[in-house]
Amino acid sequence: MPEPGALFWLVFWPVATIGLYALARLLNRRFARWFTAPLLLTPVLILGLTAVLHTTYADYLRGTHWLVLMLGPATVAFAIPIHEQRATIRRHWPVLLVGVVAGSTIALGTAWGLANLLGLPDVLGRSLMPRSTTTPFAMSMSGEIGGIPDLTAMFVVVTGICGATLGEVMLKWLPLRSSLARGALFGMGAHGAGVAKAHQIGREEGSIAGLVMILAGFVNLLLGPLVAIALR
Amino acid sequence: MSGILTRLRLMLRRTRVLQILVLLGFWLAGDTLVRWLHLPLPGGVVGMGLLLVLLATGVLRAASVRLGAYWLLAEMLLFFVPAVMAVMEHGEFVGTLGLKIAAVILIGTVAVMATTALIVDFAYRFSLRHSPRHAGEAGHA
Repeated sequence: MPEPGALFWLVFWPVATIGLYALARLLNRRFARWFTAPLLLTPVLILGLTAVLHTTYADYLRGTHWLVLMLGPATVAFAIPIHEQRATIRRHWPVLLVGVVAGSTIALGTAWGLANLLGLPDVLGRSLMPRSTTTPFAMSMSGEIGGIPDLTAMFVVVTGICGATLGEVMLKWLPLRSSLARGALFGMGAHGAGVAKAHQIGREEGSIAGLVMILAGFVNLLLGPLVAIALR
Repeated sequence: MSGILTRLRLMLRRTRVLQILVLLGFWLAGDTLVRWLHLPLPGGVVGMGLLLVLLATGVLRAASVRLGAYWLLAEMLLFFVPAVMAVMEHGEFVGTLGLKIAAVILIGTVAVMATTALIVDFAYRFSLRHSPRHAGEAGHA
């Protein structure tokens, strides 16, 4: 059998990624547990496939990087739930802003404190600090405060998986009475993945989460230079 | 002429793929603006701002892109997958270092989510108490 050409792999990996994602989602719908979360199960399945087929990350990314680019239009799409919830937002923006400023401060503080406590290298601590912000904001902040943006992108995704999964459990334990608080929990703690989860819980929760995520991005944009000075 | 425009608008409201292309166009516009003006913002956020302005001024109806927008939001997790695969490049995180990083993320995220939610809930109830006119209109789901 002749070796498949480069063009074949260019088509194979995106098709495999989308197919396995669809499979994971189907499984998650039937059997909703944390380990069937599509954002966890899909990478694990692909990891297995790349190991079997001896594929490097560069080869994998060559065919699939356009999928990551789709996060751009997905960010644009947040305009719709925000527009549809504009009355709620106009009334409650001070409440949400207080939550986001507090949440961002705790995110930066816990990452710095815990990284030092556990004796992690300084650069890892700095790369971990912006992890509660959505990827594009987190990567630019990471560079600004002396972290490694690529590592931050990975930590952001891990945070999203953990947050979206834990958030569902925490909703059962925390005495939250408003959809504002439920949305803020996911938007602040688990950005994109959290917003997707919040949309499953309710449309209002979802749009609040999306708004909080974007608000957190802007707050961190302002906090970045301050943190850079504080860490010098 | 206006008949054709109406037909196009009706087609847009029913066709998800077209709507996704429109949203893609907004992102490209935002990205171009960021590059020209050297803005410290991601292109998608600027594109979202542009779309919000057009929706607020009534130039574009939400119905024209709603189907596409909710589809993109529902399937957003798929777009993260290739980024997660960067883990292939980081064998050094298998072991103690990885466990420590996981601990930082896990504990930090629980702290962030619990505090944010409790503060928002508290501030929400506080704001309700201080503006009785709006009591109970939103927030309770």
